[in-house]
Amino acid sequence: MIAGIIANPASGKDIRRLVAHATVFDNLEKVNLIRRILLGLQAAGVQRVWVMPDYFNFYEQALDFFIGENQLTMETKLVPMKWNACQEDSQFAAAKMAELGVRCLITLGGDGTNRVVAKGAGDVPIMPVSTGTNNVFSVMLEGTLAGLAAGLVATGVVEREYSLLRTKKLIIHLNGKAVDIALIDAVVLEDQFIGSRAIWNMGKVRQIVATRGEPFHIGIAAIVGALHPIDMRAAEGINLIVAASGEQMLDQNQGSIIQVKAAVAPGLIRSIPVRSHELMSPGQKVTVRHRPCVIALDGEREIIVGPDDCCEIELAQTGPYVVDYKRTLKRAAEKGYFINR
Amino acid sequence: MALNKEQMLDLYRQMRTIREFEETVANFFSQGQIPGFVHLYIGEEAVATGVCANLEKQDYIASTHRGHGHAIARGASVNKMMAEIFGKIDGFCKGKGGSMHIADIELGFLGANGIVGAGLPLATGAGFALKYMKKNGVAICFFGDAASNRGTFHESLNMASIQKLPVVFVNENNGYGISMSQARHQNIKDIADRASAYGMPGVVVDGNDVMAVYEAAEEAVKRARAGGGPILIECKTYRHHGHFEGDPTVYRTDEEVNAWKAKDPLPRFASRLQEMKMATEAEIKQIDLEVKKIIADAVEYAQKSPVPSQDELLTDVYCN
Repeated sequence: MIAGIIANPASGKDIRRLVAHATVFDNLEKVNLIRRILLGLQAAGVQRVWVMPDYFNFYEQALDFFIGENQLTMETKLVPMKWNACQEDSQFAAAKMAELGVRCLITLGGDGTNRVVAKGAGDVPIMPVSTGTNNVFSVMLEGTLAGLAAGLVATGVVEREYSLLRTKKLIIHLNGKAVDIALIDAVVLEDQFIGSRAIWNMGKVRQIVATRGEPFHIGIAAIVGALHPIDMRAAEGINLIVAASGEQMLDQNQGSIIQVKAAVAPGLIRSIPVRSHELMSPGQKVTVRHRPCVIALDGEREIIVGPDDCCEIELAQTGPYVVDYKRTLKRAAEKGYFINR
Repeated sequence: MALNKEQMLDLYRQMRTIREFEETVANFFSQGQIPGFVHLYIGEEAVATGVCANLEKQDYIASTHRGHGHAIARGASVNKMMAEIFGKIDGFCKGKGGSMHIADIELGFLGANGIVGAGLPLATGAGFALKYMKKNGVAICFFGDAASNRGTFHESLNMASIQKLPVVFVNENNGYGISMSQARHQNIKDIADRASAYGMPGVVVDGNDVMAVYEAAEEAVKRARAGGGPILIECKTYRHHGHFEGDPTVYRTDEEVNAWKAKDPLPRFASRLQEMKMATEAEIKQIDLEVKKIIADAVEYAQKSPVPSQDELLTDVYCN
């Protein structure tokens, strides 16, 4: 009967508000969202909620204002941890919550936030609520419903076989060692610095490895979706080689490059020259050929690969469990959970 | 735009120059050789460096009381700066202004400023002039977290937005207004959130990562120069020293200071350059040595310069 909330106070504020037309998601709106999630969790019978501490102090701000019939009666607690205003906070909090017996974790952030949470959550299912920019893993969802669905999972009202999906992930191997993961995509960029993290200059993209992508997605997954859609339930992934700008004319004449039009960021629709693409089987590794480079994981530049490094990306079936909120709520209704005769 | 090796090393050289300048000032201040107050930029070098690397000759910048780094990044003479801080006749203000009044209109450097938040309307005015006179320029305004509580901040952002002025507001959020932590002086953590209230984009960047600042400033300057209106960039950073030299800094813990020192923008960038094989350790050390010599020369220049005579007492005070 225990749930957890990890909210990223830094999501929805990066450079894509400048270079694209990405949504501004201020933290006071996240506070409102957390309140709605808490009320949803409570309505579903959750008895205790652990919340990650953070620099914005979402916990106290969210608990500050519950009035009238919407009083919070369940127990809420801050995860006992020191925070450093960095992404490791979310990973640590997720691992700690798993230790504390949390049965469902609700995240507020984008795909980058969920990637970090997934590293700590183990088998604890995630209900990812989007407050970020690249939102393939996380879902644009009303907080009350997110809270209800997560609560129905945490309390066991809805069985795991109905409510959860096991996702895929990519494992990044650098010089033979697994160093990081991605939930949706790993993008090889002709770049040398992490800088402001986001990706918007498609001219730097040299390779895309993805677990999924559909035409209705935003971000790099949209390229996959436009070329060869792969849904979250499919076992395979995909590896795309992107042509450099100098190569384009030459190969277009030979007809070997496909221009793929995709919504690569909010308000940014670009044509990407794809040289080749191949499906990946579970467990398959592909080599990063362009070096030196920077690899962006789920939309954020994370890993620097030097000229002499050896980097491989593996498709694995052992990604985090996610809550399918529609199936969860439907199943609860089928079981008569919402009816009081 | 991708930077080449030379441009990358220039960014490092610029940050090293600011650091060396400031550490030298701290040293002479502690010896009692510098009059007045100094507010040092140590720890925040990546912000001024990353922003100013995107500027052109016709552009303006407005600075703060912590302005040495902005002036150096804009290309001000370190000899004249040092002389000014030492109170000597060869300084930017003939030694009569000191640290908080260094200005160089030839460089479009509208000056350091002893009043918190006072640079905001100056930059906005410069932005208006650039637009009105069709000079294709951009005005940059550096300001701190506490300055964003002042009326000048709100008036300036409002005016810049409604007039669609080419102004980039660069907030250096070092977490403190003098001795008051941000948590005690404003009920938000991201000052960039305030941009939306004035109808402009606001973004948050790691102010201790010179490349992150450079990229954000590059896009902001490009947008402002193209007529896209003002932008607010919030750079999260930290000053290693106190608010002023001599500040006992009892309001912050060693643990906090050490955590930020671990993110020091200089070694961070130097090691990244080496990892990417864009510079060797020897090249970095060579730059450090060159900079040391430049700042030592600036001290010698300042020390040799005479103090202003009594005849200078009333000159440059009133126009005409």
